Amino acid sequence: MTLELVNLRVCVEDREVIKGVSLRVERGEVHVVVGPNGSGKSTLLSAIMGLRKVKVCGGSIIFEGRDITDMPSYERAKLGIALAHQNPPEIKGVRLLDVMNAMAKKYGCSDCTSLTKTLLVDSFLSRNLFVGFSGGEKKRAELFLLMLQNPELALLDEPDSGVDVESIGMLARAIESLRNRGTRIILVTHTGAIMEKLSRINKVHVLIDGRIVYSDSPDVVLPVIFKLGFKKGLEVLVGGV
Amino acid sequence: MYSSEQVLRALEKPALYGPDIDLSKYRIEEPDVGEAREVDQVVVNAASRVGLDSSSLAYVQKNEQALATMMTKLLEKYGVVVLPTREALSRESIARELAWRLVDPAKDKYTAFTYLYGGEVGYFIYVPPGVKVPIPIYTCLSIVSNNVVQTSHNIVYVDEGAEAHLVTGCAISHGVKDGIHIGISEFYVARNAKLTFTMLHAWARGLHVRPRTAVKVGEGGEYVNYYVTYSPVASIQTYPVVYLGRNTRAYLASIIASSEEGVYDVGSRAVLEKPGAAVENVSRVVARDVSETYARAEIEALESDTKGHIECLGLLLSTNAVISSIPVITSRKRGALLSHEAAIGLVAEEEIDYLMSRGFTEEEAKSVLVRGFMNIDAPLPPSIKKQVDYILDMVAKYAVG
Repeated sequence: MTLELVNLRVCVEDREVIKGVSLRVERGEVHVVVGPNGSGKSTLLSAIMGLRKVKVCGGSIIFEGRDITDMPSYERAKLGIALAHQNPPEIKGVRLLDVMNAMAKKYGCSDCTSLTKTLLVDSFLSRNLFVGFSGGEKKRAELFLLMLQNPELALLDEPDSGVDVESIGMLARAIESLRNRGTRIILVTHTGAIMEKLSRINKVHVLIDGRIVYSDSPDVVLPVIFKLGFKKGLEVLVGGV
Repeated sequence: MYSSEQVLRALEKPALYGPDIDLSKYRIEEPDVGEAREVDQVVVNAASRVGLDSSSLAYVQKNEQALATMMTKLLEKYGVVVLPTREALSRESIARELAWRLVDPAKDKYTAFTYLYGGEVGYFIYVPPGVKVPIPIYTCLSIVSNNVVQTSHNIVYVDEGAEAHLVTGCAISHGVKDGIHIGISEFYVARNAKLTFTMLHAWARGLHVRPRTAVKVGEGGEYVNYYVTYSPVASIQTYPVVYLGRNTRAYLASIIASSEEGVYDVGSRAVLEKPGAAVENVSRVVARDVSETYARAEIEALESDTKGHIECLGLLLSTNAVISSIPVITSRKRGALLSHEAAIGLVAEEEIDYLMSRGFTEEEAKSVLVRGFMNIDAPLPPSIKKQVDYILDMVAKYAVG
C-alpha cells in the first residue's frame, strides 16, 4: 500500500522541471515538501495526479504496486488519488453544489452534510465554482472536494497560502482526519504555516531546482530552514554543522 | 388589411437572413381541426424528446392536424380559452381582431405561404383579465411525415393583470428526415400582464425551420422568452421582435446547441417604444461539427429612460464550427441606456484538466462545463425551470457528443 516515485522526471512545455525525484509514501504517512518558489513543488504534485499540463519525461510512478505513469488523471482519481489544487480555475455557471452532487454520485457520500459544516462550505455551495471566492474559501472548497473523493493518497498543494488563521486551523483538522483514516498525504507548503497545526509529520523533503536535496524528520529540518532560509539552512543541514 | 396581390408577390420574397428554401419542393396536407381524447403515440414519443408529458398538453398539432385536448377543459375552469386558431377565428371576435396584426403576411415567402395556404392551424389562447393561471399551458407541434410543410399560426392574448406560462415543444417524430416548419406567433401581453413563453425544440437533420414571431407588451407588462434548441437541423432562421410599451420589461434568452452541417440563424430583437421599457437579451451558443451559427440580437430604443443589455456568449467545441455573434444596439433618443457584450471561445483546457482530476472523464468534464455555460438566471417559474434544467442536461450531453 505505497506510493513510489522512481527517478521521476517531469517536463512542462519541453523544459525539465522535476529532475529525478524518488520518494516512497506508506499508508497513513504525512510527507511535506518544502522549497523556494519555482523549485517544482506544484509540478511534482501535478505529475502524480496526471494533469495534462505536465508530462512525465522519465522515471515512473507506482501506486499500490501498479505503474500509473501513463494513466489519465480521472483513472488515477478512481484509484483514490486526489489533488487539492493551489490555484483552482474559476468556472462560471458551474456551482460548487453541482460538482459536489456529481462527485457524490461517483464516489458516494455518507457524510457530505457534516463535511460541508466541518469546512464551512455550506454558505457558498450555490456560488459559481471559485468565482469571487476569498483565499480561505478557495482552500476550504478544494479540500472539501478532495475529501469527497475519499482519497487513498491526498496531494495538498499549498493549502495554507493566502489563508487566515481560523481557516488554517480548520484545514489542519480536516487533514488530520484524513490521516487518521489512513490516507497517505503529500503536502506542499511554501510558508509552513499549517505544519505547526499538524500533530505528526513523518518526513520533510527539501526540493530545490527539481531535486530532493534533503529529507529528514520535521524536528531536524524545519527549525533550520525556517530560521536560515533554504540556501543557508541546507548548508547547515548537509554540512551537519 | 393586406392585399392578396401583395401577399402573392411575397411568395417569391426570400427572408432577409438564412438559406432560401424552395417551398414548392414540399407538400402541404389538408388542414384538419378537432379534439383529441388521447394523444397519438407518435406525438407522445415526439413530445418526450423535449421532455413534455403528453398528458399535460392542451394543444397538439401533428403535421397540419390541429387538436385541442381534454386539458383545455381544466384550463376552462380558470376562464382560459385554448382553441385551434382556425376554430377561434370563426368563434372568437378577438381572434379575428388580432390575427395577422403583428406579423405582416407579406413579410417574406414563409409568412405569405402560411397566410395563403396554411389553413390557420395553430393555437389560440386567451387568458381573461386578472387570471393568474396556476398551471403551465403546454402545447406541442410535431411533424410525423417526410417532405411536408407544417404551418402553425399561434395567437396568444394575456389580458390586463393576468399571468400565464406557456410551454411549447416542437419535435420531429423518429424517422422523419426532411420537411419545413413555419410557425407564425402573435402574442399580446396587455397592461400589467405577464407571459412567459418557453420553447423547447428537437428537430431533424433535413428539416428547415422558419418561425416568425412578434410580441406586443402593454404598459406595466412583462414578457419572458426562453428558447432552447438542440439536435441536428438543416437550417433555422428566426428573429422574433418584441415591442415594449411604458414601464415594461422583457427577458429574451436563446440557448442553442448547434451540430453537424446545420445553419442556425437565431436571436431576437426588442424595440423599446416607451419610457421605462427595459430588456435583457441573452444567448448561449455551443457549436460543434461543421455547424454555422449566427447569433443575432438587437435592441432599438425609440425613447429616453429605457434600458437594454445584450449578452451573446459562444462556445466552440470543434475547430470546424463557426459562431458569428451580431449584437446591434440603436438609440434614437438621449437617455437610453444600452449596452452589449459578446465573447466566443473554446472550452478552457485548464477547466477540463481540473475536473478530470476530480474523477470526470474528458467527455463528462466537457459536459459539466457546457451545462454550466448554458446556465442563465431566467425569470421562469420553478416548475418550468425544472423542466428546462432537464432539457439543458440533455442538451449538454448532446453538445459534447
